[in-house]
Amino acid sequence: MALAIHGLNASYGDVRVLWDVSLEVGEGEIVALIGNNGAGKSSLLGAISGLVHIDSGSVTYAGRELAHLPPDAVVRAGVIQVPQNRRLFGALTVRENLLMGAYLRSDKEVDADLERVLILLPRLRERYDYLAGRLSGGEQQMVAIARGLMGRPKMLLIDEMSLGLAPVLVDQLLEILQQIHASGVAILMVEQDVQTALEFAERAYVLETGRIILSGPAAQLLDDPSVKKAYLGV
Amino acid sequence: MLAGITGRRWVFIGALGLMGLLLFVPGLHSEYLNLTFRNILMFAAMSYGWNMIGGYTGYVSFGNVVFFGIGAYCSAVLSTHGINNLFADVALALVVNVIFAVLIGLPILRLRGHYFGIATLAVGLAAFDVANNLDVLGGSGGVELKQIDQAHFYLYYYAMWAVTLVCMLATFFIARSKLGYAFVAIRENEEAAQVLGISPTRYKVIAWAIGAMMGGAAGAVFGPANGFLDPGTAFAIDNTVYPIAMAILGGMGTASGPFIGALLLSGVNEILQQHFLTIHALFFGIIIVLMMLFLPRGLMYLVGLRGGMRRWLSDLQAYRA
Amino acid sequence: MSVASENGVSLRIEHVGMRFGGLRALDDVSFDVERGTILGLIGPNGSGKTTMMNVVSGVYKPTSGRVMYGGKRIADVPTHEVCHLGIARTFQVVKPFASLTVRENVAVGAMYGRLGAKRSARDAFARTNELLELVALARVADRPASDLTIPDRKRLEVAKALALDPDLILLDEVMAGLNASEVDEALDLLRSINARGVTLIVVEHLMKAIMSISRRIVVLAEGKKIAEGTPQEVTSSPAVIEAYLGARFAKRQETDRARREGG
Repeated sequence: MALAIHGLNASYGDVRVLWDVSLEVGEGEIVALIGNNGAGKSSLLGAISGLVHIDSGSVTYAGRELAHLPPDAVVRAGVIQVPQNRRLFGALTVRENLLMGAYLRSDKEVDADLERVLILLPRLRERYDYLAGRLSGGEQQMVAIARGLMGRPKMLLIDEMSLGLAPVLVDQLLEILQQIHASGVAILMVEQDVQTALEFAERAYVLETGRIILSGPAAQLLDDPSVKKAYLGV
Repeated sequence: MLAGITGRRWVFIGALGLMGLLLFVPGLHSEYLNLTFRNILMFAAMSYGWNMIGGYTGYVSFGNVVFFGIGAYCSAVLSTHGINNLFADVALALVVNVIFAVLIGLPILRLRGHYFGIATLAVGLAAFDVANNLDVLGGSGGVELKQIDQAHFYLYYYAMWAVTLVCMLATFFIARSKLGYAFVAIRENEEAAQVLGISPTRYKVIAWAIGAMMGGAAGAVFGPANGFLDPGTAFAIDNTVYPIAMAILGGMGTASGPFIGALLLSGVNEILQQHFLTIHALFFGIIIVLMMLFLPRGLMYLVGLRGGMRRWLSDLQAYRA
Repeated sequence: MSVASENGVSLRIEHVGMRFGGLRALDDVSFDVERGTILGLIGPNGSGKTTMMNVVSGVYKPTSGRVMYGGKRIADVPTHEVCHLGIARTFQVVKPFASLTVRENVAVGAMYGRLGAKRSARDAFARTNELLELVALARVADRPASDLTIPDRKRLEVAKALALDPDLILLDEVMAGLNASEVDEALDLLRSINARGVTLIVVEHLMKAIMSISRRIVVLAEGKKIAEGTPQEVTSSPAVIEAYLGARFAKRQETDRARREGG
């Protein structure tokens, strides 16, 4: 078991956002987290990453307790987040953004990893010296993922990757995620596009107002009538 | 700065009440009190001027002292030509300041945020230099004498009082008018304001000019009241710092804030000077810092604050890293 | 409130090109928008959609071609004049006046919009009642805008646009980040606005939404128009599938169609 969350309660200041959340991601597994706006999906990722205050409960990764650790410790443990809205360093170039992803690393393989990432995302090679803020949405998302990879994650937390992106681009990114997955990295993805998330993931959890209300194999949830009604409308 | 820009009219009525009380100060026959409160009123008026562009419109200016100075020098110039009439002084100050505000405002109000602030600072400093070097204004470290009329000592008090009252009322009614909404819209989100049909340049200049008139009127009364004017007096650093601090303390972007801030700041200052003359500035600084830490939006923030403690704490978060 | 003006709101984009230095953002794009209809504008990021919106609202002057709105050419319109032409815009990144109440936010539009000059502050506030009802924000009318949830903020954007008394509204990704039921509500709102005679141009990435609401769709890719037509026509176009929709979408469409016909 890679990531195991048990009985997690978290708040933003006075406002409680997560109630007794329990969730697991196996080694090298792809798990989707779906739910409405304000359900707490980003908060959950934030809690794992050490950005949101945990009231009680545990978050263990590879047997190690991550709860209450500062964000950089979580990154060192191998759990890296690709945040919502990308959060790139707009005034830095693509190359510099990628290097920032390797900030905590002191090993000699950073250059090799840069090359690896560029092979995976060739578009970035073309845009290597452009300012990140000038890139299109899809390219920015690629930089965000690549930056995450530069930290040599064992697990990626991906927050709303498809927001504002053309479907064909989402397809391309999913292919990239597939390749990342194939290399053994576990993925926990938060997605607004429920259809896409459930088609891509192996298992999924449904979060509603801070509580997990449903979970199971993704294919099963796709057919679930309550999921269809609430999330697959139009 | 608070939800909506109305809802505090009771505080304003209270402030007007306090203003009414201030009418009795001359009756106390104390020159000290007279001078003290006249200064409070003066700074309050200047603060209202700053509040219009800084508080309501969100363009923080460090150069509004220039309007005060121009107003004072208008009186000085009239006096050297034999005109010693407060109405004429104020009228001239208003006209000259509006023209000046529009001329300077059109270029520099296009600058955003910090750049605007720095530009206004430069304007303030330049004004000092100009006054210092222009002999026609009595110039170079130069002195300018004016008629002081002992018999009408209290006249100046009432004049300053009237100026401040007009500033208060004008602010109150503008805030609730279409114009006021244009100012606040620009402060809250200039781009969104444009999208809704508000020409930012036009309304920023209007706010700046109104503020100029307020500061200018205060200066116009100050000149003759003081009986003496030189660049150091007109453009003293106090004249920049106090009006801003008062508005911030009392509540930026409110109609009562500057007045309440003026009373408080001066009151606190006086008390500190009485008890800690040598280090009163230190305590003063501490108080300002505490205000910034816990009440950055001034005292008026507490009025009509819905959500109590929780709201206050979460709003504070917005100011902390 | 009849918004259909005498001048007519037909929008005509004629061979519009837009160049920024060396970058060609739009290349010979032409299409018409019939008054009172809803046009969908789709395409990958960087395809020129935002530039197109800026050209349509008159903020940019096209480097070639022209935009005819209501029979008149529009170009180089200062941002604050756009609404006085009868064109309103909502933005992807919502821009509320945070310290003001919801009602005040809308009132500002009514004060300074197309018909604002003749309105007093009081009249402007009176106008807000109807608009807040329409966008279902009456219940939070007197709360500070900063308190609103994301879907409500988007409603507020729409209400502010409506307060400008427009004939044409450009909606830039107003549904981004909404869940399925919120999207349904948003579509209903857009339909009711359209029913009052307001022409809409909707830029969206949510294909299901765009397809259900647009009479016609224009597809941009790399600055060029690569398709135009009904939702059906456009989503079956191979060029569009390759440039924007992707194989997965096409496949899903196939299975949906098969299910419908088979069922």
